[in-house]
Amino acid sequence: MKDLSNFLAFLGLLTTVLMAWRQSRPARVRLLALQSLLLAAQAVTIAAFTARWGLLLVAVTLVVLKVWWIPRALTRMGAGEPPRPLEPGRSAGVRLLVVGALIVAAYAVVLPVTASSTLPTRGGIPLAFAMALVGLAVCVTGRDAVGQIFGFLMLENGIFALGLLAAHGLPGLVEAGVFLDVLVVVLVAEALVMQIRDRHASLDVDLLRELRG
Amino acid sequence: MLLAALLLIPLLGTVLLLRAGGRLATVLHAATTLATVTLAGTVSVAVARGATLSGAAGLFRADALSAWMIGLIGVVAGLAACEAPRYAHGAARRFYPFFHLFVFTMLLAVTTDDLGVMWVAVEGTTLASVFLVNFERTRASLEASYKYVLICSVGIALAFLGTVLVYFADVTRFGGGEHALRWTVLQQAAPELPGPIVELAFVFLLVGYGTKAGLAPMHTWLPDAHSEAPAPVSALMSGILLAIGVYAILRFKPIVDVAAGPAIARRWLVGLGLLSMAVAAAFLWNPRHYKRMLAYSSVEHLGLVSLGVGFAGPWGLAGAMLHIANHALAKSVLFLLSGRIRTAYASPEIEAVRGLLGRLPLSGPLFLAAMLALLGLPPFGLFVTEIMIVGAGFAAGHTVAALAALALLVVAFAGVLRALQPMLHGEPGQRARERRTWASLPLIAALVVLLFTGLAWPPGLATTLARISAVVTP
Repeated sequence: MKDLSNFLAFLGLLTTVLMAWRQSRPARVRLLALQSLLLAAQAVTIAAFTARWGLLLVAVTLVVLKVWWIPRALTRMGAGEPPRPLEPGRSAGVRLLVVGALIVAAYAVVLPVTASSTLPTRGGIPLAFAMALVGLAVCVTGRDAVGQIFGFLMLENGIFALGLLAAHGLPGLVEAGVFLDVLVVVLVAEALVMQIRDRHASLDVDLLRELRG
Repeated sequence: MLLAALLLIPLLGTVLLLRAGGRLATVLHAATTLATVTLAGTVSVAVARGATLSGAAGLFRADALSAWMIGLIGVVAGLAACEAPRYAHGAARRFYPFFHLFVFTMLLAVTTDDLGVMWVAVEGTTLASVFLVNFERTRASLEASYKYVLICSVGIALAFLGTVLVYFADVTRFGGGEHALRWTVLQQAAPELPGPIVELAFVFLLVGYGTKAGLAPMHTWLPDAHSEAPAPVSALMSGILLAIGVYAILRFKPIVDVAAGPAIARRWLVGLGLLSMAVAAAFLWNPRHYKRMLAYSSVEHLGLVSLGVGFAGPWGLAGAMLHIANHALAKSVLFLLSGRIRTAYASPEIEAVRGLLGRLPLSGPLFLAAMLALLGLPPFGLFVTEIMIVGAGFAAGHTVAALAALALLVVAFAGVLRALQPMLHGEPGQRARERRTWASLPLIAALVVLLFTGLAWPPGLATTLARISAVVTP
């Protein structure tokens, strides 16, 4: 179980790094779906080895919501727009360097958590934490609306992975609430992004500069 | 039973209002508000008499702290609801359902014992109110609502990270289970929880819920959202929603104090509180829009509340809780009046507003009175609570922080007064049509209550505040 779980967590972080690297929106959508699928696999693995069958339900919800529905919503939001943000930001090299630094930072910060865990899945905890941190960075540096929402979803996936690996899932009621939350956030974001596109004919958030001071 | 009804009424109102329009919508809105406010009052009174209510096998629970917040939500929602029909006019279906859903999520956040459910509810407050911020569908309100939903969702995601870490700390020691995130359970488990993990969790929780509370440097969404939303929504957001962010931090504080030592929460809360006051004072020195001025003043006051919670001690906590109430009353009255000013002058700019006292013969003087209350002048309640909080700082040995807070209060005071003065006087132009006096009665009543919290505490208030302090003191 340990090896399988660690391997899945590693692949999860890899998809995060790739998402931070790639700028093309369709590629990112595919990577996000893949990452969510890996999370579902992680949930199934933990369910199988610890007989927590509630996690199977979590896995099914993950697949329906994050592998199927959210990627479709993201595609709708970006439909007809050029697949890359308007102008290239910093070079890919610098971006990946920042990602690397964040992964190291994640290891350092989360040390007390890893040290006090006795679960076989504890090896993946820093990786999940790094997923969350990189997602946060992608979100705050995002240049277009969909890019920021990507970052948010990556952050969310990272926290979810942390919950799975560190505590083998959260109480059922909370888990359900979190799924509902992600669903509504994406719905709300889609409605707002569509209005922004109507008004500005662009996804560039730099155009949102009415409110200052 | 009482708690279930309190939560079900606004939810039911939401569902019904989705289908209602015209006059029926206004009637339903009034009925839902009346029932919600009555139930909120009943719960507050029941708890003030010494009971602790609970329901749904302990999922819902109202102790002194919850009841205080429930009462405040009731008051602010009642005030805001009175002014709502002016704004919902013609688009009731886009306004009323979200209004009551917003109230529901706030009530849920403060009545649940489960800190995970509380997180879901706090995030729900953002999602329920985002379309209200964008109600007018202008470029500016669209921008404000996008920033609002993005910044608050990211912030609150960090609070979720903190919640997961707390859960992890509990699970490693006690094996977890469905009740592991219950506040009552965690509080008992606190002495056994691993300190470093709880400390790490608290940082994330503070940043996350601090975003909702409008503490600097996570406050950037606040002036935009609060100034672009219709006045009743601004009143709810500034008056009480920010305080719910503080409430969430307060729930975690006793756990952190026990598990990781009291210095951690104190240091962070005092630091963020002072930073918020400084950021607000810098802006308030020269504001251009009156609603943005009110919004930044909320950053200032929530910073002060954060200081009070950080200083702790009997005066600090009681002062912070009463300050939340005073601020809720003064700020919601001011935002509701700013909506009337906006209608009368058709401009959000301070420069465009001249001769307010003459142009709006009722709302103008009320605005002045509420503004003086907000600035912390005696005999209004905010004067007393500001003294209590600063005094708690001196008592706890935080002389520098308390002095800095005083200085920042003075700067903000001077700035706001400078902006307010020209608004009041000058050529009033054409006298605007004021609505009948009774429409202003709720606002007048709120100001009268502020006099009471300043001049003569009603019987039971001191006991209630002491009981709240006891809840959050380990």
